[in-house]
Amino acid sequence: MYEVITAPLPGLDLRRHYGHYQSPAIRAGGLIFCSGMIAVDPQTGERQHGTLSSEAQVIFGNLKLLLESAGSSLDRLVQVHALIHDSVEYDVLNRVYRQYVANGPPARTVWAVQIEAGFKVQLDVVAAA
Amino acid sequence: MSLQRQVMASPLPGLDARRGFGGQMSMVVRGGEFLFVGGLTAVDPDSGERIRGTTMSETRRILANIKLLLEAAGSSLNRVVKVNVLLQNMLEAPEMNEAFAGFFPEPPPARTVCGACLPHGARVMIECTALA
Amino acid sequence: MMTEKLARSAIQPKNPLLNVSRSANLPHVPGIRVGDYLFLSGMGPIDPRTGGRNHGPIAEQIRTTLNNIKHLLESAGSSLERIVRVHVVLADISHVEEMDRVYREFFPVDPPARTAWSMPLRFGNGCEIECVALVD
Repeated sequence: MYEVITAPLPGLDLRRHYGHYQSPAIRAGGLIFCSGMIAVDPQTGERQHGTLSSEAQVIFGNLKLLLESAGSSLDRLVQVHALIHDSVEYDVLNRVYRQYVANGPPARTVWAVQIEAGFKVQLDVVAAA
Repeated sequence: MSLQRQVMASPLPGLDARRGFGGQMSMVVRGGEFLFVGGLTAVDPDSGERIRGTTMSETRRILANIKLLLEAAGSSLNRVVKVNVLLQNMLEAPEMNEAFAGFFPEPPPARTVCGACLPHGARVMIECTALA
Repeated sequence: MMTEKLARSAIQPKNPLLNVSRSANLPHVPGIRVGDYLFLSGMGPIDPRTGGRNHGPIAEQIRTTLNNIKHLLESAGSSLERIVRVHVVLADISHVEEMDRVYREFFPVDPPARTAWSMPLRFGNGCEIECVALVD
């Protein structure tokens, strides 16, 4: 019923690397609630600052690893909050984002907010288990 | 058979959204097997008065109120699946994080934190989803 | 331990003018049904008669947006009364009180849990509203 999804690779343990008091994801009730994913190297946890596009690519790669380790996949995404540092990058977000959700995209809301550590993008997602 | 939807009763008058928040929201709503807790800012649980403090003290107050709300609804902090934290100032995220460490039992829920403009001068707003 | 595999599908509004995902060729859908839960994408003040954006006073924008959500939910076998969680985003935080006045017309009894805040919005929108609901 309630299961903690641990980091499939050490770099995705943000608690270990950055002290964020959170688990990578929780599975409950047929859904997987993921902590906001940022662009970190999945092996080392090192921040991979870059353009919004490059960061988004790292994030989707990390989400793929995390969701697949939990028996799900990017195709099972239900809802995404796409946090972007500046709403002027909306089209940039769409260009990279659509590459990863081609098979039936999820619901989405874009949030133009302040993101930790100066990252340009963060993805907050819920997936079906 | 459709999933149950139910507004959960508030344990204290200060946490009764109908009284303190003009009736536009319920604090805790059950939907199927989940409890959805609305975005809370720091309020006194007895009087409903808004409490302004530091990011850390407001976080502590909100988490204490969430604990009260969840337990009144038959749930608990260790059944929280996801927390969303909005901060007026992201530079104060470490203080918020420290308040979490003192509160949630191991292992902690999933969480997303970001900075946005909050109402009524609040420094912190927290919503969460838990298993009923 | 058996993992439940909930069925997942996209939902669409009966009024195609409210399907911004499709009309603007954006990488999302108006909403997803998973099991008996509905997760809706952020909805803005789209005029259901024209598909254009309604940028009148905030009260009108909130009304338009919530009516659009009502339409989408009813298209998907749900309703406003079955919403459990709402996110209300305002471009201008000072609009909270006006938003509240209109908002409560739509949820007169047992309103959903709500989180409301302000951040920059695209397309000149004064509001964007997102919700989670149960099917009827």
